[in-house]
Amino acid sequence: MNQPFIHAKDLCFSYVEDDGRRVPVLDHVSIDIRKGEYVAILGHNGSGKSTLAKLFNLILEHDSGELVVAGKDLMSEDLTEDDLYALRREVGMVFQNPDNQLVATIVEEDVAFGPENLGVPPKEIRERVDRALSTVGMTEYARHEPHRLSGGQKQRVAIAGILAMKPSCIILDESTAMLDPHGRREVIDTFERLNREEGMTVITITHYMNEAARADRVIVLDDGRVLMDGTPVEVFGEPERLLAAGLDVPQCTALIHALRKEGIAVKGDPVTTEECADIISKLLEEKGHGNRHA
Amino acid sequence: MKNIAFGQYYPARSPLHSLDAKMKLILAVLYIVATFLCKNLLSFGALLLSAILLLLMSRIPVRIVLRSMRPILFIMIFTAILNMFFVKGQTELWSFWRFHIYLEGIYSAAFILVRIVVLILATSLFLTYTTTPIELTDAIERLLSPLRIVRLPVHEFAMMMTIALRFIPTLTEETDKIMNAQKARGVDFTSGGLISRARALIPILIPLFVSSFRRADELAMAMECRCYRGGKGRTKMTVTHLRMRDMVALLLMVCFGAGILYLNRLGIGYTL
Amino acid sequence: MATVTLEHVSYTYGVGTPFGIRALDDVSLTVRSGSITGIIGHTGSGKSTMVQLLNGLEKPAEGRVLLDGKDIWEDPKRMREIRFRVGLVMQYPEYQLFEETIRADIAFGPRNMGLGEEEIAQRVRDAIKFVGLDPALLDKSPFDLSGGQKRRAAIAGVMAMRPEVLVLDEPAAGLDPRGRDAILEGVCAYGKETGATVIIVSHSMEDMAAYCDDVIVMANARVFLEGTRDEVFSHADELLSVGLDVPQITHLMLMLKQRGFPVPDGVYTVETAASALRGLLQ
Repeated sequence: MNQPFIHAKDLCFSYVEDDGRRVPVLDHVSIDIRKGEYVAILGHNGSGKSTLAKLFNLILEHDSGELVVAGKDLMSEDLTEDDLYALRREVGMVFQNPDNQLVATIVEEDVAFGPENLGVPPKEIRERVDRALSTVGMTEYARHEPHRLSGGQKQRVAIAGILAMKPSCIILDESTAMLDPHGRREVIDTFERLNREEGMTVITITHYMNEAARADRVIVLDDGRVLMDGTPVEVFGEPERLLAAGLDVPQCTALIHALRKEGIAVKGDPVTTEECADIISKLLEEKGHGNRHA
Repeated sequence: MKNIAFGQYYPARSPLHSLDAKMKLILAVLYIVATFLCKNLLSFGALLLSAILLLLMSRIPVRIVLRSMRPILFIMIFTAILNMFFVKGQTELWSFWRFHIYLEGIYSAAFILVRIVVLILATSLFLTYTTTPIELTDAIERLLSPLRIVRLPVHEFAMMMTIALRFIPTLTEETDKIMNAQKARGVDFTSGGLISRARALIPILIPLFVSSFRRADELAMAMECRCYRGGKGRTKMTVTHLRMRDMVALLLMVCFGAGILYLNRLGIGYTL
Repeated sequence: MATVTLEHVSYTYGVGTPFGIRALDDVSLTVRSGSITGIIGHTGSGKSTMVQLLNGLEKPAEGRVLLDGKDIWEDPKRMREIRFRVGLVMQYPEYQLFEETIRADIAFGPRNMGLGEEEIAQRVRDAIKFVGLDPALLDKSPFDLSGGQKRRAAIAGVMAMRPEVLVLDEPAAGLDPRGRDAILEGVCAYGKETGATVIIVSHSMEDMAAYCDDVIVMANARVFLEGTRDEVFSHADELLSVGLDVPQITHLMLMLKQRGFPVPDGVYTVETAASALRGLLQ
């Protein structure tokens, strides 16, 4: 249990351009992620965040450094093909474009795709598919055609397709980027529930600050390096560094900072709107501004 | 593109819907053979009757089926007329200049007409109307699976079919979007000569190709992430077994074929 | 400068199919000439349909779409001219790039307008300035650019047509904060410098609050709220009640108000919120 689920040390990765130039993407990235953690990896486009995720399930192979995932050393010479598929089963991945990851013409057939590939007996596939669809709240759409679903629903089906493989970790590679606010909320609620109720390790890659603020831990990548790594309170406590990395801070965080700059002593670092409202309410009450209705 | 009524799956509860897709494929083939066995008035009559029975059994609105035949109406009439004028026989009914119409010609035209109609009904009622595309693909994969021994990539073929079916609506929608985007930049698809119209397609086709390749790339990656490694060691969620009703259907079809052969021997009227 | 008006416009998708959806239901509105107007609403609220009605890609079932007071469908043969006057940038416009170079792609629209080579070259130069695209990229293939650069090139391709009305459907979708700001600033610069009317369709209330003069809120195929940015965001509680987002800061100030504190209505920037609270806390 002491061993982290993902152990990365000095990971480097570069890709080769057509003209033979090597372009570095990741530069000595060291991260440990524990089982059951809810981690957001934040960074601007091209910061290397999606590449990092693809190393974790061997879609891409790193150039140098240590990478141990689910007890398997991914640099090891004697990693067999079966090990590779076992790893991909263990670490599921949901991508950005909901249209480009659904294979079948019927929702439940699509969810069955993973377990079918794993050679699970038909009866068990049926059970897994039903369970996965009910976990993401898509049971009533089991016999629907994917192209008639909304973006958020499609992503939930994609998540169900991963769940049916019974992974212990799910990586969401900008899975909310193409969704509207409603769809985004659907997807976030789904993976947060998986983390809370089933202890699933969740790694969400995003450039939405409000989304990252909900995680247990935020890792900020900038130009292939780990710029910050800590709780949302710690990370959003340094808005200047985030802005310099081409990122935003949530508006509440920005407000607290603006007030502090004015010399107002604000206690605590709120992440959610409610927390922020609570903190400011307390300050206002201390100053004697009436809280007449409450 | 969106209004193809010809042979699209029509959801309903009927004896035909509930048959196993593999059996429906076999039945369709047998039924097509039967249409070619028919030789005389009696057997063609029986064939037409059976087709009407099938149509009623399928619970698909007759209106929809008739409408779907409209596109081939011309071919049907054309073939019938050809037969009417060019089949020579003994009993001349009517003649004008160099055209002679014989009773045999009328028979022949009617038979051909029935044959075409029944051929279409056979494939659409057994297959496209009552079977979902995915069931059909699965059934084809199963029926062809013995061919794997001779290294035919049966699974890959079926997978390709499935993916194609899955992406047809997505790509149709995308084509619409790209067309609109280029129209907004002043592309005119409706006027000009053939060459300028063909040129107007370039701004549509290139983005569509590029996007299809990108989709294919992403889909391949997503499939790898879901442990796809070809047909090797793969199972299926829905395993369909032939049931009693499938066997009964097969038996009925065989009897029907035998009946046709018997009716052919009762040489009544004109024989093809 | 041009005014866009919708008069009692209704539109239904998929007429005669079981999937028929009423996308717009008796919508009347006016977009002020020279303004930057945001249209916001849920998916399916009718905003994407509205975009396609504005430059005649779709025809309203009922009602009229007016450009400077003239019905755009008055003479359907001249629709191409309307499309040059009302430029439309669709969602994910980078997927429409097709020429061998960025330069040729941006020039595609102006060339279809029948402009001279010199004029076209000038317009390409102007357009990339608006979107902040490096001139060194002009001779590259669109497929060698990053996602954000492709997006800018595609938007430049419509700006180069110098439309009097520039309509953009989700111009910042999927971009990171830096890319989003660059695009939206470019769009606003185009409006300010050419005097064009700019219409931005978006899901993001934060972007609306930051960049738009006027905001139109769509809900259930109708106009739910319409007015200046200040007016619309002072109805934050109503926006929330129909399930729309409001900027986080607006939500926070609304919460404080509901708890009985004397904070102002319709706050949508961190600066206004900070100065209001500073007054109360010092």
